[in-house]
Amino acid sequence: MRDRQGGTADGAEWRLRAGAKYRPIMVMGTTSGAGKSFLVTALCRILSDEGLKVAPYKAQNMSLNSCATEQGEEIARIQELQARAARTRAEGAMNPILLKPKGDAISQVIVMGRPYRDMDVKEYYGHFVNTEGREILRRSFHKLAAENDIVVIEGAGSPAEINIADGDIANMGAAEIADAACILTVNSEWGGMFAYLVGTIMLLEQQQRARFKGIIINNFRGDPDCLRSGIERVERELGIPVLGVVPHMDLELPNEDSMFIDSKVKEGDGIRIGVVRLPRISNITDFDALTLEESVSVVLVSDPDQLDLIDAIILPGTKNTIVDLNWLEAKGFAGRIRQLAGKVPILGICGGYQMLGQEIVDKKGIEGGSGQKVKGLGLLPVVTTFDAYEKCTAQVEARLASNGARVRGYEIHMGRSEVLQGEPLFLVRDEKGEHPGGAISSDGMVMGTYLHGLFDLPAFRKRFLASMPEKHGHEESASIDTGDRVEASIQKSADIVRANIDMEAVFRILEGGRI
Amino acid sequence: MKAIMFQGTSSDAGKSTMTALLCRHLSERGVKVAPFKAINVTLNAFVTKHGGEIGISQAFQAWAAGIEPEVEMNPIIIKPEGGGRLQYIINGRAQAMSHIKGSEEWKALGLELIQQCKVKLAERYEVVVCEGSGSPVEVNLPNHGLANMDTARIFKAPVILVADIDKGGSFASIFGTYVLYERNERRMLKGFILNRFRGDASVLSKGIEEIENRTSAKCIGVMPFVDVSLPAEDGLSMMDGRHKGSKHLDIRDSWMASLNEIYRVALRSLDFQQITSVLDERL
Repeated sequence: MRDRQGGTADGAEWRLRAGAKYRPIMVMGTTSGAGKSFLVTALCRILSDEGLKVAPYKAQNMSLNSCATEQGEEIARIQELQARAARTRAEGAMNPILLKPKGDAISQVIVMGRPYRDMDVKEYYGHFVNTEGREILRRSFHKLAAENDIVVIEGAGSPAEINIADGDIANMGAAEIADAACILTVNSEWGGMFAYLVGTIMLLEQQQRARFKGIIINNFRGDPDCLRSGIERVERELGIPVLGVVPHMDLELPNEDSMFIDSKVKEGDGIRIGVVRLPRISNITDFDALTLEESVSVVLVSDPDQLDLIDAIILPGTKNTIVDLNWLEAKGFAGRIRQLAGKVPILGICGGYQMLGQEIVDKKGIEGGSGQKVKGLGLLPVVTTFDAYEKCTAQVEARLASNGARVRGYEIHMGRSEVLQGEPLFLVRDEKGEHPGGAISSDGMVMGTYLHGLFDLPAFRKRFLASMPEKHGHEESASIDTGDRVEASIQKSADIVRANIDMEAVFRILEGGRI
Repeated sequence: MKAIMFQGTSSDAGKSTMTALLCRHLSERGVKVAPFKAINVTLNAFVTKHGGEIGISQAFQAWAAGIEPEVEMNPIIIKPEGGGRLQYIINGRAQAMSHIKGSEEWKALGLELIQQCKVKLAERYEVVVCEGSGSPVEVNLPNHGLANMDTARIFKAPVILVADIDKGGSFASIFGTYVLYERNERRMLKGFILNRFRGDASVLSKGIEEIENRTSAKCIGVMPFVDVSLPAEDGLSMMDGRHKGSKHLDIRDSWMASLNEIYRVALRSLDFQQITSVLDERL
C-alpha cells in the first residue's frame, strides 16, 4: 500500500514525485464508447492523489455536450469533469479543438474555447487538420506540459481508421506531438474484444505500434479468470501486456454523447418528464440531475403521441434552432405542444427557449438558410435575433426570481432574446449587478431560459416539479447537489481502476520518460 | 445443397438482418432457402407449429424466406435462468444436460446436432443461410467454435464477416478477426460488409482497399444506418415504440414491412451478385 507521507509500508521510496515531469500517458480506444473517458478520469484522480499536478487533454472532441470554463471558454463537458478529477481548473487548452456537428457533415469548430468557423468534412480533413490543426495542438499541449507534472491524454474513436490515417490528429497525431506512452482500451460488453485489440494494433505503422505499452479491458461482466486464454493469445500476438480487466460499474457521470436516459415511456407511478428528442439535441446532460429526485423519470420523446403520457415537456438545447423548429412543425410536435400549453408545464432550454418564443429573426443565415424570419411556438413573449457570428459562453450564478434561491448554470448560445413582457424566471448576477433572465408565461406553466445545468442544484428542480398539477404532491426531498454525486463517482472510478489495474506497471510507464 | 455463413466481428453487428435479407432475396428468386443458427443464447424463443422452441430471429428469417419455422433451423438454445443456471433447449425441447460430462462431450454433441440439421435441411432446401453467434474468435467463450467455424465447416459454407461501423474500429475488427482465425479458417473468409454507416461511403475507399488486400476478402458493400425495429435476441431493443402509427395490426406484418424497407436500401448498397458468387464457391 502506498503511504502518502512519502514511503510505502515496507519502507521503499515513494516513486512518483510532485514537481518532477512525467511522460504523458494517452488512452486510446478500439471504438467509440471503449471507456477512454472513464479511464482518463480515473487516472487524473489517481495521479492527483499521488500528489502530482495533472492536466487532462483531448486534442479533438466531437460533442454537443459542452460547457463553459470560468474564463468563458467552451470545452467538452467530459474534459471539465476530468479537470475536476485532477483537482485543477478547466481551461480551453484541455480541449483545443471542439467540433459541434450541425448536420449535413458541417460542424462548428471551436478552437481553444472560442468559436472559430463552420467547416465541412472535406475542408476540415483536407486542409485545416494538417496546417492550423497541428499547430493548435502543439501550442495547447506544450502549455499544459509546461504548467503540470503530467498530462493525461484521451484519444478519439479509434486510432486505426486507416481511411483517414493522415488526418487523424486526434489519435496518433496527438501521441506524436506529446511523445506519449499509449494504452489501448476496449469495451468487452459488445463481444469481439480480442479481434478489435489485435486488429487495431496490427493496422498501425511499426513506430506507432511501439508507443503502446499496455492494454486495458473495460466493462467486463463475470469472472475475469475465464478471459485468461484470450488474454494470453493477445499478449502473444501483440507483445503488449494486458494491464487489467475493469469490471462493469454503474456510475453517475455525465455521458459524453450517448442517450443515458430511458427511452421508453412507461405507464405507472411517479413523475415522467418528457424531453423532446430534437434531431440536433445538445446538452442532454442537463437532465441527469432530475433523476436525483424520488420517483422522477426522464424519457426521450420521439413521437408527438407520447406527449399525452408525460407530466411535463422539455424542449432541450439544439445545435440548430431553426432547422429543428421546422422539424417540430413537420412532425406534429408543434401543434400538440400548443394544445398542451396551460395543461402541463413546458420548459424550453436554450434553443428550446428560442423555439417557445414568438419569432426568430436570422437575417444573416447564421442558423442556416438565408435571411429568415421564422414563427416560433408563440408560447412565450420573446423574440430572438441572430445578428452576428458571436457566441455567448459563460458560467452563470443566478437566483430564482420568485424566492431568491440559488441557481447555477452556464450559457452557450448564438443569438440574443428579448423578453417583451412579463416576469423574469431568474435574476442573473454579473459584474454590473443583477439583471433579469429567462421568461415565464402569465399562468406560470410555460418557462424558458438559456441556462444549461439549471437542474444541478435543488432550487430550480423543486420549482419545476412543483409546477406539475395535483397528482404529484411533491415532497421536499433532501437538497442534493449533483456536484457531490459527481465527486463520489470520480472517486469510485479511481478506486475501481486502482483495484483492478496493475498500477505499478502504469507508474513504470510514466517514469519511463522522466525528464 | 449450397450454404453461406454470416459471422460478426462483434455481437449485434447485423448478422441476423443480413441473414434475413439474403433469405428474402433468394426466396423472391424462386430458390428454396432456409436459415440456420447453431446456438442461440436468449430468452426470446418462438414456438414452431410442432411445438418446438427456436430463437425468434430464426423464425423471422424463416418468414422472410417464405417458409415455416422448424426446429432444425436452430438446434440449441441456451436460456439463462438467473443465478448462473442454464436451461438447454435441444431440437426444440428442454432437456437436462446432466449426462453430458465436460466440454469434450458437449462439443461432440454439438457437432452431431449440427450435422443432423444439415442432413434434414438438405432434404428440402437448395440453399442454407447460416448465422454465427457473437465473434468467431472470442477464444475464451466455450461455444465460439461450434456456433461459428464448426458450423461453417460442416455446411461447407464460405463466410462473410459483418462489422458495425457506427461505433468505429470496423476495419480493425475485420482484420483482427482474420488474424485470430486458425490458418485453415482464413481461406473460408470470402467477403465483408460494413453495416450501419452514416455519411458518404466514398470516404471509406482507402480503408476498404487495404482490408481487401490484406485478407483477400472482397467488400460486398457498405450498408447505411436504417432506423427500423426487427426482432432480435435482445428483446429490449424491440420496445422502443417504433411501430407506433403503423397501419399493421399484426406485429409480424410490421416486421416484414421493416425488413422490406431495409431490403430496398440493401439492393442499392450491397452487391448481391457477389454474394451469389460467394455462395457458388467451392471450398
